[in-house]
Amino acid sequence: MNERAYPRWLRLAAPGLVGLATLLAWHLIVTLGQVPVYLVPAPLVVLGALASDWALLGASLLVTLKITLLALGLALVLGVLVAFLFVQSRLIELSLFPYVVLVQVTPIVAIAPLIIIWVKDPTAALVICATIVALFPIVSNTIVGLRSVDPGLVDLFRLHHASRWQVLLRLRIPSCLPYFFAGLRVSSGLALIGAVVAEFVAGTGGTGSGLAYQILMSGLQLNIPRLFAALLLIAATGVVLFLGASLLARLALGRWHESEMRNEYEPR
Amino acid sequence: MNSCAEQVVRTEAPLVRVRQVSKTFRGGVRALDPVDLDIERGEFLTLIGPSGCGKSTLLRLIAGLVTPSGGRVDVAAGASRRAFVFQTPTLMPWASVADNVRLPLDLEGTTAPEARERVAAALARVGLQEFSRAYPRELSGGMQMRVSIARALITDPALLLMDEPFAALDEITRARLDRDLLGLWTGTPLTVVFVTHSISEAVLLSNRVVVMSARPGRLLDAIRVDEPYPRERGFALSERHARLCAQLGGLLEAASGAGPDE
Repeated sequence: MNERAYPRWLRLAAPGLVGLATLLAWHLIVTLGQVPVYLVPAPLVVLGALASDWALLGASLLVTLKITLLALGLALVLGVLVAFLFVQSRLIELSLFPYVVLVQVTPIVAIAPLIIIWVKDPTAALVICATIVALFPIVSNTIVGLRSVDPGLVDLFRLHHASRWQVLLRLRIPSCLPYFFAGLRVSSGLALIGAVVAEFVAGTGGTGSGLAYQILMSGLQLNIPRLFAALLLIAATGVVLFLGASLLARLALGRWHESEMRNEYEPR
Repeated sequence: MNSCAEQVVRTEAPLVRVRQVSKTFRGGVRALDPVDLDIERGEFLTLIGPSGCGKSTLLRLIAGLVTPSGGRVDVAAGASRRAFVFQTPTLMPWASVADNVRLPLDLEGTTAPEARERVAAALARVGLQEFSRAYPRELSGGMQMRVSIARALITDPALLLMDEPFAALDEITRARLDRDLLGLWTGTPLTVVFVTHSISEAVLLSNRVVVMSARPGRLLDAIRVDEPYPRERGFALSERHARLCAQLGGLLEAASGAGPDE
């Protein structure tokens, strides 16, 4: 890399300054330009709404978070199982993979109404929608990972008469981890998107208490500060999920994989 | 080629007997025409030949990693322990040096205390005892290759198969590893089959050098290197060494011309 290695404080301060400057500009434009609050509320007004409506928004946050995490967990288990099934034989992969792609490429907005009609329990319906969205990166990355084994190491294991089980545990699964975590990082964001989209589709007919529902209702009531506050919470949730997945990846791969390796020349 | 093997005074049967072994890969590539080769106990045998001549294939046939299309490879009883050193270090990046070295023991189910002891001994033999907890990517290429050799030797193999192990290393590191490998081998009952395309490395290391022709591979000729072990440092620069290299070079030139043009 020929880029300069910047000190750690600057790498944190630079995006922080951009954020502050944007907020300040936002604040000034809205207050000096006397933009009505039902078009764009000032940042402090949004914060005020977040504080005053916390009882409502906090409860909604929990609902959305629950759906997202359930979906992510389900996608993780299902995705890994499907990937393991697919790598058992090319024939299985050949016959089933097109349908996994089919489910993936069909927009969730188009499938969600059906699922909401078919599945009686609204929470379950939303979880299914979000799972469908989050599933694919885990499946495809895990498949690639399970196949990306150093052929020399495969020979070595054969030479020492390793059992199928030993090859799986000691070779295929560790080789797969970097790919799996890359998939998990993408899926963590997708699970949230899936949950929010499904809630939108379900609308007032759904559970009626998630963050997407709050956005929908705030919009109808022209309560724009609350809409912004809910939006803020969704964005924050996405960031936290991404950081969580990144942290897991770092814990699992930190010592050996390039993607998680600290730059040795970087000042600490 | 056979004349050379017959000159050996046989007190024991050869460790490995390769009889009319050939290999044609799927898709019809003839990698190896029928080959006969006896590998004597305790010898340091080097296979040399133009690239793509099937020397790696022959090595993998002897290792049992590839099944022959014809003929057979007989391995003497008691020589079932074979170890392989690949062109690249082929280490598990997620495991420490010690865990990489002990892999063969883990796969065989050796108990932990015994394995620990043997790992320490194996690392000491290649001079890496201080690096047991390092990870492969923290080591230089030469050190990674040492780990690979320690892993190969940990099961006390009767036969060590090495497929151009030092080809990717710089000249200085390679010379050091050549010398250290000779040090590890001299005075042990270990039999080594070494593949290289370096003439001087072949002469420096081996008792016997077998020359292979361009694809489809055949064994063309063999020369003996009657230089006692341990070999002095001066041998690499000696006139005897130069003469043998010239002789081998001539054979190799003939070998490259013997096959069809690429």
